[in-house]
Amino acid sequence: MRKMTEYKMFEGCTIGNRIPFIEASSRKVFDKLGVQTSQAPFSCCPDPTGMKSFDNDVWLAVGARNLCLAEAEGKDIISLCNGCTNTLRGVKHQLKHDSSKLDKVNLELAKIGKEFKSSVDIKHFVDVFKDEVGVDRIKDAITKPLKGLKVAVHPGCHYMRPAEWMESDDPMKPTTLKELVEASGATVVDYGEEILCCGSAITNAYEEHGFANLRIKMDAIKESGADVIAVNCPACYQQFDTRQRDLGKAFETEYAVPVLYLTEIYALAMGFSPEELGLKFHRTRVSGILEKLGL
Amino acid sequence: MEDSLEFDKLIAEFHIEPDVIKYCYQCSKCSDNCPVTAVTTDLYSDTGYNPRGNILMTLLGHKDSLLEGDDLKIWGCTVCVTCDEVCPQKIELVEVFTFLKNQSIALGKGPEFIYAQAKAVFESGKAIPPQSAIERRREQLGLPKVIAPDIDELQSLLKNMGADKKLKYEK
Repeated sequence: MRKMTEYKMFEGCTIGNRIPFIEASSRKVFDKLGVQTSQAPFSCCPDPTGMKSFDNDVWLAVGARNLCLAEAEGKDIISLCNGCTNTLRGVKHQLKHDSSKLDKVNLELAKIGKEFKSSVDIKHFVDVFKDEVGVDRIKDAITKPLKGLKVAVHPGCHYMRPAEWMESDDPMKPTTLKELVEASGATVVDYGEEILCCGSAITNAYEEHGFANLRIKMDAIKESGADVIAVNCPACYQQFDTRQRDLGKAFETEYAVPVLYLTEIYALAMGFSPEELGLKFHRTRVSGILEKLGL
Repeated sequence: MEDSLEFDKLIAEFHIEPDVIKYCYQCSKCSDNCPVTAVTTDLYSDTGYNPRGNILMTLLGHKDSLLEGDDLKIWGCTVCVTCDEVCPQKIELVEVFTFLKNQSIALGKGPEFIYAQAKAVFESGKAIPPQSAIERRREQLGLPKVIAPDIDELQSLLKNMGADKKLKYEK
């Protein structure tokens, strides 16, 4: 197997401290695909919809401090989360293009014995799969293709926008997640609202408006006949997995489409069992799709 | 309505390319493509969330109409960054809206979840602090322990920047 670089793993607060089963599938799939990682004492990235809105300068400094930890080891970062990737790439972008902000941040970092040198790169795991591992090698690692499974893909806003600093997929017509899901043997169904935001941030601030948005998304997904929603972001995961039940209550309709992380889809297609992946911890039951797949 | 030169100056300092906001010709592609605008306003009334209106008010320096009115005018933004992508003048709208949110926080306004998250980061270094039940679950799943951040160092950084003074501990 071709030797790849070792990355510093940035699992993020939500996956690490709330939904660790996502990390379990990620680590299993990374092992199969030869993606090497090691840990570091990272803090919160911090959240591009939370801490950045609280204080942009603080967001820059805390983000830059995390980047310093990876720089100290001369390693790039692999992130399991759209938000963390967006923050860390965004911090690097702002500091690269605004020297007064860089001076300000480095003045603060100097007080804690650090300096941001802008030498680190930050990669979303989806881009590592696509660009470094490659679809062909992923297909080679699939032993139980998910034939017949109909999947609605939701790449999530912060994976691809803003295009200027995310440099991943087309920001308005993304194709990567679709291509990667198809590599598992599953069928991707179009539902027309692929790039619509899950509404995580607006739901936290104004539930009523967040639900009005989520309803548009979920109605389109239901209409498409998808068995499952595929995601690559823990905030989107949580929005779909934990809020469908309340959405259903609010609009007196049933919403119960299960949600799988891309790494869970791959792990199932690589022969890992639902038990060792902790699929029972999903709030929206996945039993229907496991039955369909004969697992 | 009070216009503020200081507000203009702050915007200019904040925006990565400060002059670009002046190129806005109010075409409304941002609002036409905003998912929150779609569920909060008909675009003809003054209610709901309207990114086009926010850019205009910011450009004109109408600080009070932005910061003193309904919180939804600023905090309706869900940070999907669609507006940045559709803007024909390449204005980084989300950066302008971040500035407005930062100003709102400085006035002690804004939604509770923002304060709750900032407090969690200040106290534990994580937006979602570790919990013993989840630590056990990690072990069951065969995962390594999350390595805790150097909280003393992080708190020094946050205190030096005055972040602790913006936290709200009551409520």
